[in-house]
Amino acid sequence: MDLNIRIAGAAGQGVETTGDLLAETFASQGLYIFASQTYMSRIRGGLNWYDVRVGDRALFSGREKADLLIALNEQALEWLKGDVADGGLSIYEGVERPGEIATAFEKVAKEVGGAAIMANIVAAGATFALLGYDLAGLEAQLAATFTRKGDAVVSANIACARKGAELAAPHAGRLRGPQPAGAPRAVCNSAEAVGLGGATAGVKFATGYPMTPSTGVLTYLAQVADRYGIVVEQAEDEIAAINMICGATYAGVPAMTTTSGGGFALMVEGLALSGMLELPVFIFLGQRPGPATGLPTRTAQQDLMFALNAGHGEFPRALFAPGTPQQHYDHTRHGLQLAHKYQTPVILLSDQFAADMRMNCTGLDDSYRPIDRHILSDPPEEYMRYAVTESGVSPRALPGSNAFVVLDSDEHDEDGHITEDLGVRVKMQDKRMRKLDGMVAEVIPPEWHGPPDAEHVLIAWGSSYGPCREAVDLLNAAGGPVAMLHFSQLWPVNGPAISDLLGPGRKVTSVECNQTGQFARLLRQVGALSDYDLMAKYNGLPFSAEEIARRLQ
Amino acid sequence: MNPKPFFDTDVAWCPGCGDYMILRTIDKAIAAAGIDRKKLVLVSGIGQAAKLPHYTKANVFNGLHGRAVPPATAIKLVNHELEVAITSGDGDMYGEGGNHLLHAIRRNIGVKAFVHNNQVYGLTKGQASPTSDLGFVTRLQVHGVYSQPFNPLAIAIVEQCSFVARSFAGDMEHLQEMMVAAFQHKGGFALLDILQPCPTYNRVNTLQWYRQRVQKIDAGHDPYDRHAALDLAFKWGDEIPIGVIYKCDRPTFESHFEVLKRGTLVEQYAG
Repeated sequence: MDLNIRIAGAAGQGVETTGDLLAETFASQGLYIFASQTYMSRIRGGLNWYDVRVGDRALFSGREKADLLIALNEQALEWLKGDVADGGLSIYEGVERPGEIATAFEKVAKEVGGAAIMANIVAAGATFALLGYDLAGLEAQLAATFTRKGDAVVSANIACARKGAELAAPHAGRLRGPQPAGAPRAVCNSAEAVGLGGATAGVKFATGYPMTPSTGVLTYLAQVADRYGIVVEQAEDEIAAINMICGATYAGVPAMTTTSGGGFALMVEGLALSGMLELPVFIFLGQRPGPATGLPTRTAQQDLMFALNAGHGEFPRALFAPGTPQQHYDHTRHGLQLAHKYQTPVILLSDQFAADMRMNCTGLDDSYRPIDRHILSDPPEEYMRYAVTESGVSPRALPGSNAFVVLDSDEHDEDGHITEDLGVRVKMQDKRMRKLDGMVAEVIPPEWHGPPDAEHVLIAWGSSYGPCREAVDLLNAAGGPVAMLHFSQLWPVNGPAISDLLGPGRKVTSVECNQTGQFARLLRQVGALSDYDLMAKYNGLPFSAEEIARRLQ
Repeated sequence: MNPKPFFDTDVAWCPGCGDYMILRTIDKAIAAAGIDRKKLVLVSGIGQAAKLPHYTKANVFNGLHGRAVPPATAIKLVNHELEVAITSGDGDMYGEGGNHLLHAIRRNIGVKAFVHNNQVYGLTKGQASPTSDLGFVTRLQVHGVYSQPFNPLAIAIVEQCSFVARSFAGDMEHLQEMMVAAFQHKGGFALLDILQPCPTYNRVNTLQWYRQRVQKIDAGHDPYDRHAALDLAFKWGDEIPIGVIYKCDRPTFESHFEVLKRGTLVEQYAG
C-alpha cells in the first residue's frame, strides 16, 4: 500500500524543504518513496507543490490524487482540495471549517520555535502523527539536517515538530502510513545524479548559463568542485559555454555543459563545431515546454528531434534519455565514455520532471573512477590529428605533447589544416560518419516491462519510465496483457533489432510528452515501427500512471 | 612584400595584405619571447586574420567566427602551462565575438589576443567592420557607415584590461616589440590591436594613411595612469598613438582556483 502526501504553498514558504525532509525521513526508515515537484516561474508567491508518495513496495511514479494535502496557506487549499482522494485529509494554515483540519502552523512556529519560518516543520510533525509514525525518526532527521546550525536550531525544530504532532494527535490514525519494507535508505535526485556521474567519471571542466531545469546539475558540480578537482565557470552565454567545452576537451579533459531548449538553440553552431573537430563534448539538455521561453518551470519531451538534428551539416552523435535518478548517473558516465571512445558529441536529454524527481537508491558510488579518454600518450613527431582509419576514429593526442595538434572548423586534411580539396572533403566526411557504425553496435537496448507475449506495447522514453511502468502494472492487474518498452538511448537506433523485438501483429502506443510523437516518428523512419497510436501530452505536466491507464481503456 | 610562410602551403591572402607582415612578425616574436612552439596554442575564429595559425607552426584551434575567446579561456584553465594566443580580426573579435571579449577582460584570463584591425571585412568581400570610420562607403553601406566606430582600447581600459596596446603592421619592429611585451605579460588578458591595411577592400585607410598618422607613445607615458591612457585611446584621425597604452595589476582568472595550484587539470586527470 502507499499514500501520497502533497505539500503546497507559495514560493518561499518552504514547500521544497518540507518535501525533502519528509522524503528523506521516510527513506531513512526503510520506506519506499517517489517525490516530484510542480512549481511556477517566480521567486515569491504563486502556488508550488511537492508530492511525496510513500509505500511498502518500490514506487516509480507519482499519483494524481493526494491522500494528505498539507496546505501552507488557504489559497493552496482552495486550489488543490478537489484533488484530495476519497477518505483523504487536508490540513491547512487558516480558519477552522467543518471536515477539515486547520492548524495555525505559523503562529505555533513563532510561539514554540521563535520564527514563522519553521511553520513547515510544524506541518511535518503533524504529518507524522496523522500517519501514525513514531516521531523519533523525524527528530533524528531534523538533528542530522540542522546540526551544523547549532544545538539551539536543532532544539527549536524538534520542539516545532513535537507541537505539530501534538496538534494533530486527535486525528491520529485517520490515515494509516505504510510500514517500513527494507527500502534503500538513501534518496537520489536526477540532477545531482548527473553531477555526481560527471564528477566521478572525470569531468574537470563544467560550464553553463543558468536555465531551468538544468541549473541543478551545474550547482551540484560547483558544490563538489573542490572535492573532485573541477573548474566550474558560469559562462556569459550558451554560445560561450559550448565553445568553452570544445576548448577544454581539446586541451585534454572531459567537460560538460548544462542547458535547456532555448540555451541549446544558442549552442547549435558550437555543437556542429564539436562534430567537425571530433571533440567529446557532453551536453545536459533539460527539456521544458517551448517554443521560445514557453513554460519555464514545467516539463516536456519535445526537443528530441531538435537535439537529433541540431547543427548544420551531418555528423555522428549519441542521445540518451534516462528514466530514473540511477539511470541519470549511469548514463552520464556511459555517455562520457562513449563520447571519448568515438570523439563525438553526446547529449543527455532530461526534463523538469526527471531533474526534480527523487527516488530511493542504494547510494550512488561517489568514488573517483575516471573514464578512459583514449589519448595517445606518446604521439610521433609526424602525428596527424585526423588520420583516416577503418573505424573512423583517429588517434587523439593533446596539445603540449611531442606533437602539434591542429584543429580546424573548415574542412581539413588529415593533418588538421584547412583544405578546399573536394576529394579530401569526401574522404574526411566518410571518416567522420563511419564512427556511427561502431556506435550502433553498442547501443543500450530498450527495457521490456510486462509479459513477453503482451499484445499491446507502450513505447516510452526518458522520464515517462515510471508512469508508464506503473500504468502497465495497473492495466495488467485489471486484465491486460500490456507491456512497456522503454528507451534510455534514443540515438543511434538499432532499427532491425527493435523491429524484431516488437515482432508482427502487436498493437503499439507511443506515450510521449510532446504533440507530434517525435520518438515514434523516429522509430518509423528507421524502419522499426509501422503503425502506432500516439498518446500525447503537452500541457507542461508529466504523465501519471492513472492517466495512461485511463486513456487506454 | 613577398609572402614567406612557415609552411609550404596555399596561402589565402591577397598580395600586399598586412597579414603577411603580422605573420612574419609573430614568428620573430615567438622566437624572441623564447616560447616553445610545442607549448603554444594559437586559437582563432574565422576571417583572413584567423587563417594565420595555418601558416606557422604551433598547436592550432581554429574554431567558429567570433568564438576564439571561449575555447582559448577553457584551454588556459585546463592546461595553464600552455601559452595561449588568439589571432583574430576586427569582425571576429569586435563584431561577432564582442561579448566574449568583454568577459575575457572581466575574468582576466591569461590569454593574449592579437587583433588584426583593417577596418573592413575582407573574407566576405568588403563590407564595413565595427571599426570602420563614419561615412565609410561599401557595396553594402551604400550611403556610408552610420554607426560610431567601436573603440576597443577605450572599452578595454574602462573594463580594466590588464594589458592594452596598439601597433601597426607597417612598423614590424614596433609590432614585434608589442607582441613580445604581450607574451611576457604574466598578469592576465592582453589585448593588442594591430592596425593593418587591406589593399583590396579598404582604399581609405591604406598603408600610407596609417604610416602618416601613427605615432609612438611618448616614453614618459605611465601605462598605469588610467586617465592618461583613456586620453590616448580616444585619439584617432590625424594622430594615432601606438605602444603600450594601459596596464593594471589584477589577479589572473586561473589564479583563483585552488585546484589549479596542485598542477594543471590535465596532469591531475590520471585516468
